[in-house]
Amino acid sequence: MSFARTACVAIAAVLLVACESPSSDEPRPAVYRHTIDGTPSSLDPAHAANVYSSTLVVNLYDTLFRYRYLSRPYELAPNLAAEMPEVSDDGLVWTIRLRENVKFADDAAFPGGRGREVTANDVVYSIGRHFDPATRSQGAWLWRDRIAGLEDWAEDGADPDQRIDGLYAVDDKTLVIELTEPYPQLPYTLAMALSAVVPREAVEHHGREFGVRPVGSGPFVLERFDESRAVLERNPEFDRGSLDLAEEGHDRQVHGELGLETLDGKPYPFVDRLEIHFIPEPSARWSSFIAGEVDSVMVPPEQAGRVLESRDPIRFRPDIEQRYHSLAAPETGFVLYGFNMANEAVGHHPDQDIDRANRALRCAMREAFDWQERNDTFYHGLGEVFPGVIPPFVEAFDPALGTESTSHDPEQARRRLADHHWTPETLPRLTYGMEASVHQRQMFEQFRARMKTAGIPEQRLRSRAFASFGDFSRAIAGGELDLFLIGWTMAWPDALYALQLFYGPNAAPGANSFNYSNPEFDRLFERAAGLEPGEERTALYRRLNEVVVDDCVYIGSLSRTRLHLWHQHVHMLPDREMLGGYFLRFVGIGAAP
Amino acid sequence: MTPRVEVLRFITRKLAGALPLLFGVTLISFTLTVHFGPDPAYAMLGKNPTATDLAAVHSELGQDQPFWLRYTHYLRRLATLDLGHTETSGEKVRDLLARTLPVSVLLLAPGFLIGTTLALLLAMVAAWHRGGRIDRLVTGMSVVGMSLSFVIIIIGLQGVFGVWLGWFPVRGWEVTGPVSYLAHVTIPTLAFVLASIGYNTRFFRAMLVNAMNADHVRTAHAYGAGPIGIMCRHVLRGCLLPITTRIVYSVPTLVISGSLLIESHFSIPGIGRATYQAMLSGDQPVIMAIVGLSAVLFVVTATVADLLCRLADPRIRLA
Repeated sequence: MSFARTACVAIAAVLLVACESPSSDEPRPAVYRHTIDGTPSSLDPAHAANVYSSTLVVNLYDTLFRYRYLSRPYELAPNLAAEMPEVSDDGLVWTIRLRENVKFADDAAFPGGRGREVTANDVVYSIGRHFDPATRSQGAWLWRDRIAGLEDWAEDGADPDQRIDGLYAVDDKTLVIELTEPYPQLPYTLAMALSAVVPREAVEHHGREFGVRPVGSGPFVLERFDESRAVLERNPEFDRGSLDLAEEGHDRQVHGELGLETLDGKPYPFVDRLEIHFIPEPSARWSSFIAGEVDSVMVPPEQAGRVLESRDPIRFRPDIEQRYHSLAAPETGFVLYGFNMANEAVGHHPDQDIDRANRALRCAMREAFDWQERNDTFYHGLGEVFPGVIPPFVEAFDPALGTESTSHDPEQARRRLADHHWTPETLPRLTYGMEASVHQRQMFEQFRARMKTAGIPEQRLRSRAFASFGDFSRAIAGGELDLFLIGWTMAWPDALYALQLFYGPNAAPGANSFNYSNPEFDRLFERAAGLEPGEERTALYRRLNEVVVDDCVYIGSLSRTRLHLWHQHVHMLPDREMLGGYFLRFVGIGAAP
Repeated sequence: MTPRVEVLRFITRKLAGALPLLFGVTLISFTLTVHFGPDPAYAMLGKNPTATDLAAVHSELGQDQPFWLRYTHYLRRLATLDLGHTETSGEKVRDLLARTLPVSVLLLAPGFLIGTTLALLLAMVAAWHRGGRIDRLVTGMSVVGMSLSFVIIIIGLQGVFGVWLGWFPVRGWEVTGPVSYLAHVTIPTLAFVLASIGYNTRFFRAMLVNAMNADHVRTAHAYGAGPIGIMCRHVLRGCLLPITTRIVYSVPTLVISGSLLIESHFSIPGIGRATYQAMLSGDQPVIMAIVGLSAVLFVVTATVADLLCRLADPRIRLA
């Protein structure tokens, strides 16, 4: 190649690189690159029912309350609200004062494109729109039959200009909620992404596209959103003062290694740009983290062996601890198998004798199942098996509850079946439902193999796979399945959230997918629901837990453990539990290595 | 009839004939989607939906209307290119296609072009040396390429070039100019080439070997023509029809489905990933827009393939 041609090629290459390189005079923005293992489908708070949407929504919008960054057990703190609510003596009237000087981000929906002050009427509108069928809300159930006059208002056409009896603004900064019955969990619902406050102008201006054009008052504004990532920029109008670590529950013993002290007393958010990468493929997520393309990762279970020195107790390898920050924390949820109690072949039956025999069959199947094997095979031995449905991180968890319901005891199962005259010929043929995947198929085969140890022939269990979660849910709701594995993520740190799985009026298509019907359970549930936190309520929660354990309504439970790693220059505690990503506003970036 | 008039008449006839085809394709796919596709209502609703909530969402989605009314409505929207909004995010389907289609084309075009060219060259070399060591080597490598899982190839390349050597990004699509484009497209292209080259080489080789047995090729040998001349002028021309058809017909599949595996593993916001997510969530407006688009593309492709075959072999009449 001649010298002239070589020079031309070199100059062209330099120009190409120069075209894409930022000017060296500009200060480098602080960027945090987060990963999540799924893709949010919509950024409309009314659709933010899963952790992926919630992670973005709580950073683009404001909720009245949020969880303290570091406090465990989880503890609520005011967010858009100026302080915690005032509650009347009968627990029916809640008064909430809003913070001053909070503005929506600039958007074409506002006159002159300038965001306006957030008012109590915006909160009224944001809750009310859940009851407008056009919203296709995923959160209406949180307030249905709870707030006075809301259903009547919805039936009258859900007109935002029409007053709702039990939900109104006294002035621009004062909101009143009047309940039909005590609802101590109300503040928890107002910390969920579903309750985030939206401006009516923006909803009406963007119409259906509001789900991709969010306009909120949160710490960040959306710069870009597609199937692979969302890019958020710091909201210049956002001002919540400074981070008070002590107030957020900082404990030097627990959090001392995280480098959070450097952020104490400084105004947040601390990063200029927040990139959230959606990487469902575990190998790509892991490789991207190792290559330094993202700053944190939730370690895929199959990589657990590479990062852990010991699984019980969980301890990271020294070289991993030296290179990264690490965290092993249980999910705030659990998985369990449920029976369709509406099927008289295995569930409730009007004939007492058959009902008892059915219960014996369910209990025998529970005894035949081996949770430890499930944990070792599919969760790399990192899950926590516990009896009942109140997970260990919840205050009402009962450590004294016997572990018989989670013990693998095929001999006992066989005896129980024999005592109730179950034989391979008389056992019902049960349909096991699952989403179509190799993983789920393997779980089914393991389940069937365990049942065989109790004398339940393979032919008595047949699988039915569904292409999507929606179809699987439809089949459960339609009573087409007798047995199914479901996951339940707690959106509040309150046992009632788990116990609603068995509340009669919640029967399918509601959360009570098991169609469990027990008037005694329902009576106790309703009594507990109205009680303030305290010994009486805890005792009731535990009693309810025992009822469903005794009735063998389900086979469970197991909470998975999440392993997090993040680079040393990132100062944070990446806890995404309680359906959210509130921690992202407190992430600090130090000098990169 | 002059060739130009013949071509024009052919195109007109093809397009007119495409209307029943489009009607049939859309009718079948619409029927399948409506009756066997996932019901998005359950995924759209929250934890404790009532039967009334379900009915309201079904009504919102138009599922309570008669089938023919829905189908007519869909056809009208397709004809006016008013593709509606996605059911999940609310984004305009037209915007979604405009955003994702170019990404998939930019992502897959280099791999498609390089892979096809390379496969053709290897097939020519193997065919020329058929039965020899080079042929066995190329054939063996093709079989290895065909046997390797696409996912393994992707993970291996990400590990070597992204993590170990650190030459290219492991994933992502932050394209702001030619340099970042090259950075992001290189590993996916390499993966695509490795995954597809085996199949193409085997197919092309078989066609070329067949063509090499022709009398005129033997005559060219007898005249003492060189290998490049024989291959390009006589053998390749002799099997242009199946090769062209294979190449042209693979374009719409690539454009519409993108490469789901590549887009998923490299986190690239292309049409393949968008289609897959729409199928999982039962997002009917997106699925039906893509079905309509693919039907149109196949019609165009068939027309182009026929025209190219006519160019390659003038004996073919554009009947």
